[in-house]
Amino acid sequence: MYKTSIHRRSLLKAGGALVVASLSAPSILRAQTKEIVIGGPAGAAKYFTESVFPLLKQKLGVTVLYEGSNSATNLQKMQADSAAPKFSVVVMDDPIMIKAADGGLLMPISTSGVPNLGKLVAGAVHRDGMWANYQRPWAGIAYNTKSGAPKAWADMWDKARAGKIIIPSIQNTEGFWNLLIAAHLETGKPFAEAQYEIDAGFKKLKSLVPNLLNVYTNAPQAMNLLEQGEAQMIGGQFSAYTLTRKAEGAPVDLRIPAEGGFAMPSGIAKVKGGPAPELADAVIDAFLGTEIQAVLAAKAVVAPTNTDAAIPAGYPDPASLFAPDWAFVAKERGKWAERWTTELL
Amino acid sequence: MTEAMPAPPKLSDPERRTAFLLSLPAAMILLIMFILPLGLLLGVSFTGPEGFSLAAYQRLLTTPHYLSVIWNSLKLALVTTALTFLIGYPASFAIARARGGWRSLMLGCLFLPLAASVIVKAFAWTILLRSDGIINSTLMLLGIIDEPVRMIFTQTALIVGSANVFLPFMILPIFAVVAQLDPRLGEAAAMLGANPAVAFLKVTLPVTMPGIIAGVALVFSLSVSAYVVPTLLIGERYPTLAATIAKAYLLTQQPAFGAAAGVVLLSIAIAVVILSSRFGRSSGGLS
Repeated sequence: MYKTSIHRRSLLKAGGALVVASLSAPSILRAQTKEIVIGGPAGAAKYFTESVFPLLKQKLGVTVLYEGSNSATNLQKMQADSAAPKFSVVVMDDPIMIKAADGGLLMPISTSGVPNLGKLVAGAVHRDGMWANYQRPWAGIAYNTKSGAPKAWADMWDKARAGKIIIPSIQNTEGFWNLLIAAHLETGKPFAEAQYEIDAGFKKLKSLVPNLLNVYTNAPQAMNLLEQGEAQMIGGQFSAYTLTRKAEGAPVDLRIPAEGGFAMPSGIAKVKGGPAPELADAVIDAFLGTEIQAVLAAKAVVAPTNTDAAIPAGYPDPASLFAPDWAFVAKERGKWAERWTTELL
Repeated sequence: MTEAMPAPPKLSDPERRTAFLLSLPAAMILLIMFILPLGLLLGVSFTGPEGFSLAAYQRLLTTPHYLSVIWNSLKLALVTTALTFLIGYPASFAIARARGGWRSLMLGCLFLPLAASVIVKAFAWTILLRSDGIINSTLMLLGIIDEPVRMIFTQTALIVGSANVFLPFMILPIFAVVAQLDPRLGEAAAMLGANPAVAFLKVTLPVTMPGIIAGVALVFSLSVSAYVVPTLLIGERYPTLAATIAKAYLLTQQPAFGAAAGVVLLSIAIAVVILSSRFGRSSGGLS
């Protein structure tokens, strides 16, 4: 029988040292390399990484670790990490920002830390600086250019397009547009009234099912199918996804149908208790500044929110874009998600 | 066929202490990373607005929609398991009987796809199955179909993709057993008068049963809880328990319901593993 030379104390000491070293090393490294974690939409990862984050590195010397997901997932992560947040900054849609703000997960920003906050268009700063819109994308019907441009939202219900239409899940914010359009087509009421006619929306949307190829939660996969021609249209898709692909040569385009399109403001906010709060202010200020907004406007054909930045060519007349009651959407979306699964699919 | 395992030698007190210390890190990991979260999950699943509640289970197990969701997960797991077995069982023999470079090549073909992400494989299937994909093009070239058949976002696509992703987990345990088999077993059965079918049913199948059971338990457990494969290959139109859990936590913010769905999913997987091991013991395979 061998005699072991491992002593409990030395084993515990070595283990303890290992744990301390492994836990402390990343924070030391982070401190040295000036990193910041931003949570945001997966669909924006490509153009953020290629065009925005290099500017942040150049201006602020900061390396961004980007966690791309959908807004609801990022909200869940924020709730789970609220005691020790991992994100410093989040980029999310307004209805999710409402939930994050209600849940006490955001830290208000002000012009003292974020000077560009004072230069934004009216309505772009929410709840006394709880979050701000850094861009205003717009939504319509994304289509494959080989299959012809749609004229009206009702074209999605055309029987000739059986199995060729994709719509976003109600889990994604843009999923609401199809429910709203369906309510509008069913009731004949203008968007401002139809947005509350959810029963009618579900009824009409049910008749779209034979035409559906897929209901997506993963936007890049849906765009891929549209580019390949497997799908002819994605209802409720927005400019930041579709027009970036068009600019890269993909055979896709975005059309605002006769009934109108939708405004879809994107927000940026500072996470309450998040790491590197001063750096978070600087990053948010850069997102609200003219330089990054000009890049985003050119890349994604979104309207900037900084009054000093020019609205890009090709951006639709803001009067043709409907902005819904986001507070109502935020409040009701959970119930709609239940109905979506049980009644529609 | 079953051999009795020799009893482990008795350990002295210092040896026991050393064994205890050495097992401590693994035990702590199991406790912190597995048992504790499962306990919390179980606790959350029985909560309601006013404390203890069975409402989440009642809703999950009595609503027709959620019963169909449970059935969807079970159906996916059952069909995937059956398909991977039908492909994997003969494939395991082919690999085990191959020699030299052929065996290395076959094992390479089995292991290399494991290095690719499930997401990549799911995307690859959407390319293969699309209207102008290689499968539709080949079928049209052979005159089997006149125009492309819709294959993506169908249950067929889901089953094919799922079987592809989980096939190695069926082959590897069966291969591990088959590789140890004495090839003369078949000859012995033949010498005793068994025809090939009888030799297979009475000799080969029983002795490979431990591998089959391990493969079935692995593939069933993985496919019943699969999230990425159904999400990418069929989407929301084939709701599963895994997708229901994600939606409950991420969108509808109903942690008790999500936890209850998690407990039901885990119970199904545990039941299959227990049944498999019991069946394995009673089938009298190689120990």
